[in-house]
This record gives sequence, C-alpha cells and structure tokens, in this order.
Amino acid sequence: MKKILLSAVLVLASISGAQAATGGIAWDKAPNNTNDLAALQNGAKLFVNYCLNCHSAAFMRFNRLKDIGLTDQQIKDNLLFTTDKVGETMKSAIDPRQAKEWFGANPPDLTLVARSRSAAGQGTGADYLYTYLRTYYVDDAKATGWNNLAFPNVGMPHVLWELQGKRAPVYATEMVHGHEAQVFKGWEQISPGKLTPVQYDQAIGDLVSYLQWMAEPSQNTRVRVGVWVLLFLSVMTFVTWRLNAAFWKNIK
Amino acid sequence: MSDTLAGNTPADPSKRTWIIASTCTGIVGAAATAVPFVSTFQPSERAKAAGAAVEVDISAIKPGEKITVEWRGKPVWIVRRTPEQLATLSTLNGQLADPDSKRKQDEFTPVYARNEGRSIKPEFLVTVGICTHLGCSPSDKFQLGAQASLPDDWKGGFLCPCHGSTFDMAGRVYKNKPAPDNLEIPPHMYLSDSKLLIGEDTQA
Amino acid sequence: MAEMKEISPNAPAGAKLLNWVDNRFPLSKLYNEHLGQYYAPKNFNFFYIFGSLALFVLVIQIVTGIFLVMHYKPDAALAFGSVEYIMRDVPWGWLIRYMHSTGASAFFVVIYMHMFRGLIYGSYRKPRELVWLFGCGIFLCLMAEAFMGYLLPWGQMSYWGAQVIVNLFAAVPFVGPDLALLIRGDYVVGDATLNRFFSFHVIAVPLVLLGLVAAHIIALHEVGSNNPDGVEIKDTKGPDGHPLDGIPFHPYYTVHDIFAVSMFLMVFTAIIFFAPEFGGYFLEYNNFIPADPLQTPLHIAPVWYFTPYYSMLRAITGEMMIALIACVWAAAALSVFKFKMPVVFKGLIVGAAVAVTAMMLSIDAKFWGVVVMGGAVIILFFLPWLDNSPVKSIRYRPDWHKYMYAVFVVNFVVLAYLGVQPPSAIGERVSQVGTLFYFGFFLLMPWWSGLGQAKPVPDRVTFAAH
Repeated sequence: MKKILLSAVLVLASISGAQAATGGIAWDKAPNNTNDLAALQNGAKLFVNYCLNCHSAAFMRFNRLKDIGLTDQQIKDNLLFTTDKVGETMKSAIDPRQAKEWFGANPPDLTLVARSRSAAGQGTGADYLYTYLRTYYVDDAKATGWNNLAFPNVGMPHVLWELQGKRAPVYATEMVHGHEAQVFKGWEQISPGKLTPVQYDQAIGDLVSYLQWMAEPSQNTRVRVGVWVLLFLSVMTFVTWRLNAAFWKNIK
Repeated sequence: MSDTLAGNTPADPSKRTWIIASTCTGIVGAAATAVPFVSTFQPSERAKAAGAAVEVDISAIKPGEKITVEWRGKPVWIVRRTPEQLATLSTLNGQLADPDSKRKQDEFTPVYARNEGRSIKPEFLVTVGICTHLGCSPSDKFQLGAQASLPDDWKGGFLCPCHGSTFDMAGRVYKNKPAPDNLEIPPHMYLSDSKLLIGEDTQA
Repeated sequence: MAEMKEISPNAPAGAKLLNWVDNRFPLSKLYNEHLGQYYAPKNFNFFYIFGSLALFVLVIQIVTGIFLVMHYKPDAALAFGSVEYIMRDVPWGWLIRYMHSTGASAFFVVIYMHMFRGLIYGSYRKPRELVWLFGCGIFLCLMAEAFMGYLLPWGQMSYWGAQVIVNLFAAVPFVGPDLALLIRGDYVVGDATLNRFFSFHVIAVPLVLLGLVAAHIIALHEVGSNNPDGVEIKDTKGPDGHPLDGIPFHPYYTVHDIFAVSMFLMVFTAIIFFAPEFGGYFLEYNNFIPADPLQTPLHIAPVWYFTPYYSMLRAITGEMMIALIACVWAAAALSVFKFKMPVVFKGLIVGAAVAVTAMMLSIDAKFWGVVVMGGAVIILFFLPWLDNSPVKSIRYRPDWHKYMYAVFVVNFVVLAYLGVQPPSAIGERVSQVGTLFYFGFFLLMPWWSGLGQAKPVPDRVTFAAH
C-alpha cells in the first residue's frame, strides 16, 4: 500500500522520459485493425458493454454496424441496451446531469474521440486511446481509486479493471539531462485480471480499432473508391497529356 | 497553316483520336462524379430510421376499439372488428365503388389483404387513416343507423369530414363519393399474436 | 428591324440557330474575343496553370457548397451534429464534405502559387495594374470567405478561432468593443454570429467573389496576358494583325489547362480519399470536438493558410513597437535628408512622425498587431507602384534579385510554420525579423528594385518547341 502511494507520488512529482503535451507518457502505436471485421465486432461488443453506460456515441447509429458484418438481428440480440430500435443512435444509459454530479464532469461523447485526440508529433487519437486504456494504475489518493499515466489525474475510473487487474507502475532513479529523475520502467501486477496482459492488449486493440472505425465509418469505402478514382484519373491524365501534345506539336 | 492554328477542324488524325478519347473519358468522369452528388438527394439514414417499421402491441385492444399509430408521418388505424361488424361486410357490395379492391391493387391493397376483410387476420383491420380524395383523416362512425351526413341504413365505418366520403369497416369506399379509392392497407405483418409490425411485410 | 445578319436558307440547322442567337446576343463575338481569337503568349510555363485551376476550384467549392447547404443546419445547437449527419447519414455526404474542406485548402495553395507567378514575372505592372488590384480584392474576399466558412462546423477550433479574430477588432481604439459587438451580434461568439457568417459565406461573399473574378478576367483580356519573359507580345504583330508570339487561347490553352486540371485532380483526389485530414492541417483535430464556450483548447492556431499573417500579428509586442518606432523615424529621416522638397513638407513629415510615434506609444501593441496583419495584405495592392525595376520579369533582373525573391518565399514559409507552433521566445524573435523583412521587401522596393544591372530584354519570347 505504502509502496503504491509512494509510486503514485513519485509519478506526480516527476515523470521524465518522453512527455506528451498533456503531461502524460509517450503514446504506444495502436494496432489499427479497422479492416478486420472480427476485431471490429469484438470492439463493438466491448464498447457497448463497458463504455455506453456513461458515455454516449450520439452520432453513431446501431444499424451502421452492418458495415462491420453484423445483421440487424445480431445487433438487436446482443447490443441494444439503451433503445429497442436498430436505427437509433447510441445514447448513453446515464443522465448527463447525474454523471456530472458523480464524476465532476459530463463523460464526453465518444463518437469522434479517435479523431479529436490526435496530436501532431505524438500520434493518432487511436494511439492515445490505446495507451490510455492500458496505463491505469491503482491510486488511493484519487476519489475513484485510479490514476492514469497517459492522462494524469483523470476523473474516469478504470472501467476495464476486471479484465486487466490491478497494476502499479515501477520506477527507477536515473540521471536524465544532468539531474536525478524517476524513469518509468514497467508494471507490477498487484492482482490479476480475467485476461492475461497479452489478451488484454488484444482486447484493447479491438476496442480502439472499433473507436477508430466509429469515428469515420465510411473510411474503408473511402479508400476503396479512392483507388478506383485514382486509376481512372491516371488514364484521364495520360489521355489529356497526349491531347495536349497533339495540339502543341504544331507550335514552333 | 492558319487552318491548324485556328484548330476548328483538325486536319490531323492524331488530334481527332485524342479529342475523342478525352471526350469519352470526360463524359465517363463527369457521370461518375454526378452519381454521388445526385445520391445525396436520396433519403438519409436518419430519414430511413424515422421511417422505420413500427411495432405495435395489439393485445390490449378490445373488440370494437380502434387505436392509431404513426408510421412515416401517417396515421395508421388498427381496428379490432366485432363479429357483427365483420358480418356486414358481404352485404354492402352493391353500394361500394370497388368491393373486391381490384383498383390500383399495387398502391392500396397488398396481396395478403386481397380478401373480404382486407386484412391478414379477419378480426384486425390495419389501414392508413387518410382519405383517398384529398388527404383529410376520416372520423370513426362505428354506431349503426341514421346520423348526420350518413344514410339511414348505415352499417358502421368511417366518414371523412372534408367532403363527405364514406368508408365501410374494411376501409372500402362507397359509390358516388368524392374519394375514388379504398383506404390504403400499409405493408404489415404479425410478429406474434400480440405484436403487429407496420411498415414491413417480409423478414428482410 | 435591327441590323440582322442574314444566313442562307440552305445552311445547316446548327448554323441557323447560332445566327438567330448572334442576332440577339453577342455569343460568337464573346467566344472569339475571349477564346477563339484571344491571343495568349505561347511561352506560358507551369506557373501559368494556376489561374484556370483557381477558377476550377471556385466551381468545386460552389457546387459542393450548394449540396452541403441542403443538409447543414446553421444553428449553434444543431450545426456540429448536422456536419456529422452529412458525414454518416447522407448517402455520399462524406465525399462532398471532404471535397469542400480539401477544396478550401487547395484554393489557397493555388492562389499563393498564382500570386507568386504575378510577383516574379511582373504581371502587376503597367498596363495590368487593375488586373492585380482586382486580384488583391479577390484574395481579401477569399480570406473572409474562408474565415467565415470555418466557423460553420461549430467545433472547438471554429469557435475559438472566431472568438480570437473578432476580439482583434475590439483592439481598435474608441470604436473597438462596439465594433466587435456589432460583428458578433452578441456579447460572445454565438448563434447570432453563426447565422450571419452563414449568410455571408453562402451568398454575400460568393457573389462579390464572382463579380471580382469576372472583372479580373475582363481586365486581363483587355490588355492581354503577360508571360515569363515579360515581353509585350502585342508589340510585334504579324500581317494578319495577330501577335507573332501569340496563339489562340482555344484550342491551345484550353487543351493545356485540361491537362493541368487532370494532374491537379490526381493530387486533389489523392488527398480527399487517402488523407482528408492531411495531418491535421486541412481538418484540424480539435474541430472534432463540439464548441465549448467554457473551455479553450490548449493550442489555438488559425488554419494553415492564415498562419503567416498570424505570425506577424503575434510578433508585434511591446519590444517590437520600439523597433517599429525606430523604423518610422528612419523613414522620416531618409525622406527629409535624401529628397529635395519644400521645408513645409519636411516639417509635415517630421510632424507626422511625431504623431505616429505618439499613437504607437499610447495605443496597445495588440491594436498595432492587427494593423500590421492587415497591412501585410493591403501592401500587396500597392505593388504596381512600388516596383521600380526597368525590367518586368525576374528572368532579366540582376541575379541577386532572384535571391531576394527566394528569401521572400522562405521567409513567408517560415512565418507560416511559426504561426502553427505555440508561442516561444525564439519563435517570437524570428517572426519579428521575418515581419520586418516582409515589409522591408515591399516598402524598400522602390529603392532595391532599381539597383543592379538588368539584362537585355529580348523583343520576342523565348520558346522551345514541345
């Protein structure tokens, strides 16, 4: 317990090593499985089960999930908790005013979080989310009992703690830029979760891929159509190039 | 020389080839570009969701009672007909404009409603409550006998307050009335004995 | 009956129809004057595609804009949601949106290249001053159009960018706060502001833009295009009355510009389909968060095409004011001692310098930042009268002039980069130097453009057969 407290204090006092603009740890690269339907479906399930309780995804319709291979019936049977119509949008289960009262801030809408959290020089929003959801640690100094390395002093508890278990960051004292600092070295598993670390990382990868997809559901179509458009335009550019040459060869 | 400079009619076959090639690619490109723009005119997902099929619980409707639900902005009536009301249906054929619902069947009477009661279950009439004349919503006139604007032998049905069209308990229009057609039967299906789905009639 | 042209009854139907129209509307005349018999120099190079490309992008913006307005809701509570509605629920809405957002940035890339061409080849010089003036007007309108359009998605960047820029107007002495209130229509950027910006963006400014573009092209066609050699092709005409170095715009430049459009479309669509956010420069990340009047994002910056001017705005600090006052006195001293003029005028100049210094000391640096930022655009209008070189095109200027222009471009790009970054001590210094260079380039041009030995300008254009 004391060790945890001490580590927490040390974290707050001096994190060195790569710093993000938010004051958090450098971001890991998210796996980006937005073309893997199985991963996206698993991510959708995790999202609906763990996130929609407090967060909304107000611009995302349930029936859009057919784009990742789910039928209306599958959506109705497994994913419709807050409504009964598959054409409705993903509203949260919680009342925003109650949420503000309990957490201090209204849990933000997540439809676009994978796009809005990108930061030049640090990584994509997906990278941030992938890091954030995997760097929670136990911190008794906080009201929720949790803190986070990517978003220090976050007001959100570790909703997925049952899957990941309880962890604490481990620091070593090193010389950085000519002075002593606490450098983050790794994690200590205090109590296990239902998933192994590898399984948990994979689950978060799925969830983050889903969030990435949900932020722009037309992205896969966009790329597919784009390939054809560019092929056509290459042909057209060739034709117009020869057309231009055919006329200009007369000009001396 | 000035001929080719003005470029009105290309004396040069290679020019002609490339003009034709560019015109063709241009037309294909223009058409392909127009498709997404014109597609934005189609009903959006929001419109389709708002127009989605409506599930209705019909278990609480008592015989002789009518409920109204909204589907695609239109009132849809669900009437639980009594055996007496059903019995009158066959006696009215002479007075009706289209007793067998043969007119414009694709528009007003789907296949499963091409029967005497114009319904799937004889007991339940499911019809769009909009007069086929000019779009007012007819009033319920289930009481039998003479009433204002109704004949002395009135057997029950609907009266449109705007121009006086009358319809029977199967939504069939009477002769010599302004309305030309029977009331529209919307696509619908029963999900169970107590659950009616209005807006769809196949398990898509 | 008016003087109608007759046509043989045996003529084909198309010709008869054209004759009917020509007797009532100058269709063939316009075609000939502006396309078929409009002679343009044959030596246009790569830099000459950007005029037609600008027109093309304008059409793209208008057409995509028309389709977006069918679904967009100009209401502070609904705007953000309506953009997501377009992105998700409207069939192909995402494509229309990306075309419009990429088009906005593409417009500025094309326009900066187009203006650069004018700069290096002296296209603004007599007799084309009015072409240049209309063009500067178009540039100003375009900046206004882009600024107001950016508020419409009602994201965090939209809201706070608008808030900051409108507050700049509040820096104007005496009338500032009232002016800002008038622009906003409220005490803070809100629904009232959104609605009026929508009106301006969708109809008012586009109409003005179209008018200015028409004037720009008409003025150009009246005098004829310049070319990379700066040679006036109308000075050497052939026996048929056409410039020897000229070729009819149609078909030569129509065909040339169609090719240019194809290549442009490849780049344009590559961005739309594969990288519509373009690293956060074309669609800024913060704008995916709905506007929140109670929370300012950590890092507000205008969109990339405004950042050079934003750098200049930020560069005007209290310290910079001292440097600027020194410049004012240097200018006064130069004019008084270098030029011959009646003593009264010299007195007036010194008096003006004193008055200006007093204003610069008493009014906040914030206001002068706005003046400098606005001045950076306004100074472009004066270019035709600042250039004192005997030679139009950079090709025949002394070699070191080329370095001046190169440094100008690098400076502009550096200012742009600094505008995107958060403020820093070194960034501030560099932008201050950059601002001084930018203004020095123009204000001292009457002097430096005449320096050095120009090369002899040929009578005929230099052209290599394709």
